[in-house]
Amino acid sequence: MNGSRAAALTLAWRFAALRTGGFPVIPTLIIGIIAAVAVFADVLAPFDPEVGTLGARFHPPFWQVGGDTQHLLGTDHLGRDVLSRLIFGARISMIVGFTAVIFAGVLGTALGILSGYLGGWVDQLIMRVTDTWLALPALTFAIFLAAVVGPSAMNIVIILAAVYWTRYARVIRGEVLSLKERDFVRLAVVAGCSKRTIMRRHILPNVLNSAIVLGTLMLGVVIVTEASLSFLGVGVPPPKPAWGLMLADGKKGLMAGYWWLTVLPGCCIVLMVLSANLLGDWLRVKLDPQLRQL
Amino acid sequence: MSIRRLSAALGLIWLALSLPATPRAEAAPEGTLTYGVHVTLAARWLDPAEAEGLITPFLVYYAIHDALVKPMPAGANTPSLAESWSASKDGLTYEFVLRKGVKFHNGEPVTAEDVKFSFERYKGAASTLLKAKVREVQVVDPGRVRFLLKDPWPDFMTFYGTSATGAAWIVPKKYVEKVGDDGFKKAPIGAGPYKVVSFTPGIELVMEAFEGYWRKTPSVKRLVFRSMPEETTRAAALKKGDVDIAYLLSGPVAEDIRKTPGFKLVAAKPPGVFWIDLPDQWDPKSPWQDKRVRLAASMAVDRQAVNQAETLGFSRLTGSIIPRNFEFALPFDPPAYDPKRAKQLLAEAGYPNGFDAGDFYPFPPYVSMGEALAGYLQAVGIRTKIRTMERASFLTAWREHKLKGLIVGITGASGNAATRLEAYVSRGGIYTTGVLPEVEDLFQRQAREMDRTKRETMVHQIQQVLHDRVTQIPIYELAFLWGVGPRVEEAGVDQIKGFAYSGPYEDLSLKRQ
Amino acid sequence: MKRFILRRMGYALVSLFCLSLTIFAFVRLTGDPAVLLVEPGASQADIDAVRTQFGLDRPLWVQYGSFMSALLRGDFGHSFYYRTPVLELYLSRLPHSLLLAVAAMAFSLLIGIPTGIIAAVRVNRWWDSAGKIFALLGLSMPSFWVGLLLILFFSVYLGWLPSSGSGTALHLIMPAFALGWYFAAAHMRLTRSSMLDVLGSEYVKLARLKGLPEALVIGKHAFKNALIPVMTLAGINLVIMVNVAVVVETVFAWPGIGRLLYEGIAFRDFPVVQATVLLGGAMIIVVNLVVDVLYAVVDPRIRYER
Repeated sequence: MNGSRAAALTLAWRFAALRTGGFPVIPTLIIGIIAAVAVFADVLAPFDPEVGTLGARFHPPFWQVGGDTQHLLGTDHLGRDVLSRLIFGARISMIVGFTAVIFAGVLGTALGILSGYLGGWVDQLIMRVTDTWLALPALTFAIFLAAVVGPSAMNIVIILAAVYWTRYARVIRGEVLSLKERDFVRLAVVAGCSKRTIMRRHILPNVLNSAIVLGTLMLGVVIVTEASLSFLGVGVPPPKPAWGLMLADGKKGLMAGYWWLTVLPGCCIVLMVLSANLLGDWLRVKLDPQLRQL
Repeated sequence: MSIRRLSAALGLIWLALSLPATPRAEAAPEGTLTYGVHVTLAARWLDPAEAEGLITPFLVYYAIHDALVKPMPAGANTPSLAESWSASKDGLTYEFVLRKGVKFHNGEPVTAEDVKFSFERYKGAASTLLKAKVREVQVVDPGRVRFLLKDPWPDFMTFYGTSATGAAWIVPKKYVEKVGDDGFKKAPIGAGPYKVVSFTPGIELVMEAFEGYWRKTPSVKRLVFRSMPEETTRAAALKKGDVDIAYLLSGPVAEDIRKTPGFKLVAAKPPGVFWIDLPDQWDPKSPWQDKRVRLAASMAVDRQAVNQAETLGFSRLTGSIIPRNFEFALPFDPPAYDPKRAKQLLAEAGYPNGFDAGDFYPFPPYVSMGEALAGYLQAVGIRTKIRTMERASFLTAWREHKLKGLIVGITGASGNAATRLEAYVSRGGIYTTGVLPEVEDLFQRQAREMDRTKRETMVHQIQQVLHDRVTQIPIYELAFLWGVGPRVEEAGVDQIKGFAYSGPYEDLSLKRQ
Repeated sequence: MKRFILRRMGYALVSLFCLSLTIFAFVRLTGDPAVLLVEPGASQADIDAVRTQFGLDRPLWVQYGSFMSALLRGDFGHSFYYRTPVLELYLSRLPHSLLLAVAAMAFSLLIGIPTGIIAAVRVNRWWDSAGKIFALLGLSMPSFWVGLLLILFFSVYLGWLPSSGSGTALHLIMPAFALGWYFAAAHMRLTRSSMLDVLGSEYVKLARLKGLPEALVIGKHAFKNALIPVMTLAGINLVIMVNVAVVVETVFAWPGIGRLLYEGIAFRDFPVVQATVLLGGAMIIVVNLVVDVLYAVVDPRIRYER
């Protein structure tokens, strides 16, 4: 009884939010669909995304002259099926995007909390490192790391996380500074809670909202950065089908009129990033109106 | 009678007859020819003393400098600033007679002192080798210079007189001593067909015709080299008319230029061969140790299809890692594409279901070519994992023998078959993983052999052995594609054998409007 | 106040020192520049000669020491690749980078501020969404793609604009737009939230109570005050733009700092990378310092918090 009432209430709340808060239905739907495609890629993809024959290269999508229904969205420069690559690309781009954002988020949030709450030399150390980090342009830094560790999907995740954790650290530290002065934290201190407990029990839950909002917005940044890295030749290594890599590979076909090689993965990236940003903007208003300079 | 005098005489006749003709050779240079260059223009390329053994700087040297002898349409050691050269019978003395009346851009004559100075100042590729072999440079008189060697060295002219080094390229001694090395790079003066007008490192080099050039007055007034790193941008600039020649196009970009009316797609043939290196073959436990497996891999690759996709069929398929036009080269055709036979060979060798061959390293930036090759191997059951690396990391790792599996290699180094073989198959070679005793023996012997025919036989034998044992999988001799715009009449493509760029610059011309 | 400023300057110096160490170590981790300056088939002797020429055979701490002592004398060294003084190279590129950044910023604000205001005021839901999506689109499209599409459309297809390079105002339009569009969303967001702040403030309420027309309230009173934080962010972003323009500069063959740095990394040109990163980092650190100090002057509470 209780359970169903709660469920009904949640549903009602959702509807209310839909009406009043401008809940971004379409963006959520898009992200949901991309996630589903990523999960069921093996079932959905008609071909192996990494195998093709040169003889079948540059077939256009089926509705164009020369296209066929076997390769619905055409083939690329090595004769691989574009649709299958887009489907598997969703998986790789999602995994790379999400794990990078989570890695960066965990590291940045942890350091932000430590820095903000403990203060003193810890704060000094972390903030100086952050300053140094921020002074290195993100893309340059990523190219460096790529040259050092060599490209692999996992290394790209590490690179992106290593580049972007500072954004969390700065924002979270600012939040913690103001939380520190709040009554419930002061009470906990008076009550004799250890620093660890306070940081875990009282600070962390209260900065989580900001971290989530930031994470949603960073998802887009990370996916676009990954594409730029591919353009510069240090992105996700081929033949893995990541959207950014497909876009960078496909640019050679732009002039020759092989538009589907760039436009299709480009649209996937745009849809994904746009949706993540719209969702993030909405979340920010709902969860954390204070957060501004992003 | 030199070409210049001849044309001057012809010009006088025309003038006397007062015909309103415009003979090409005599007309004052006019027009601008702009290049979209794929490389980043460096100031060191203005100074031949810093030649690094890559062909790239010669892109600039041929315009602003000149050499005693240099590769030209007529041949590899074509006399240029030197009128003639000769070698003594014992192979210890090389004498060069300078061309008379040749001047640098500042009007000073080119003398034997400049030749000696340029050689001693040279610090680029193989400079240690050259200086170890040359005992003395003698100035006999202002128009004659002699190189005395310590020991007979059959490859002297291969190093001195080609683009293997920049030692024969002459800079003005007085001027360099006055302005210093840095000053020379800021305002270089040479004896070439073009004078430097302005240079922005990494961005743009602007040059103007030197009307006193000995060979002929260039027909194009201004040459502009513009660095454009992105291939699509180069091609777009060509189509828009912002540049007249765009270097290094490939695949669909090149195809588009070829299809566009008014534009030409041309191919230069630098001495670069793509091949797959198999460092694991020297490991007795590796499948690659079996010759049948290596042959199977060679047969599994459809070279012509890769050639078509990457270079529109302009490259030349090959069965040897030595470019055909190299001295001492023994050309081979590759085995025909036969995946069935390849699978059969694999089965015979004990791998009916193929095997996991580990990593596959494409040569950066030719990644799509590597992907295609790996795809063909995959099709017969040789499964690899493609590892793309950034160029510098790749070259270092390869040198340090840290790459295992399959490596796509290419080099554009000048030289002859022997110098090329040295780096990859001799014991002392930096990229050598394993050595065949008979190859090493032949290699050592040919290096000491002064008799050209005997030496050639030995170098041929080496190539025969490598071919028979399938120690490498050669793919093709790379064609270097450029797009040429509608304003260009003579683009100078493949005039100088083995040179990837436009040349000789004084022969280029634009269409008359 | 004086103490605060001195302390902040101290921090900035420490950050710069850390940066110099970091970048020095990083470039050396990326590998050996000598292999790139010789032919792939060159001998070990040739490579060693190049290493000696650049002093790379010395112990690391000696290299760092000579790098720092030269730096303190204002000498950034000679480029390995170009063989010219690095500072000269940097200074020849800087004007182009600044020009591109300023033009890009103009585009960015031109898109960001109006869309931000519309989003805050919500005059029209449709315009609000359209503006927002247009601004966000810039953030969502990798700039190399935007750049190439612009070139193909405006240069090759229409023939209106030069495809690449620099020189005239026409050369500037496409790269500036491609770069500026990416930053538009950030400016839109900040404009929106700071407009909302200002609209909620007492004096705007007062202005409304006085019965001033809404357009005047928004256009004059609110907008002027909301602009301050936006301009601050724009200042910071301007410096960031100089440093992140790599991709746009590569696509448009624009002679800026970004390409200098990127190609510096590709060629393992240690002096160029060190100098470019340090000078760029110094710009960012100085701008941050100035912003912090200005904020502290305006709002004394900050001094205790930071």
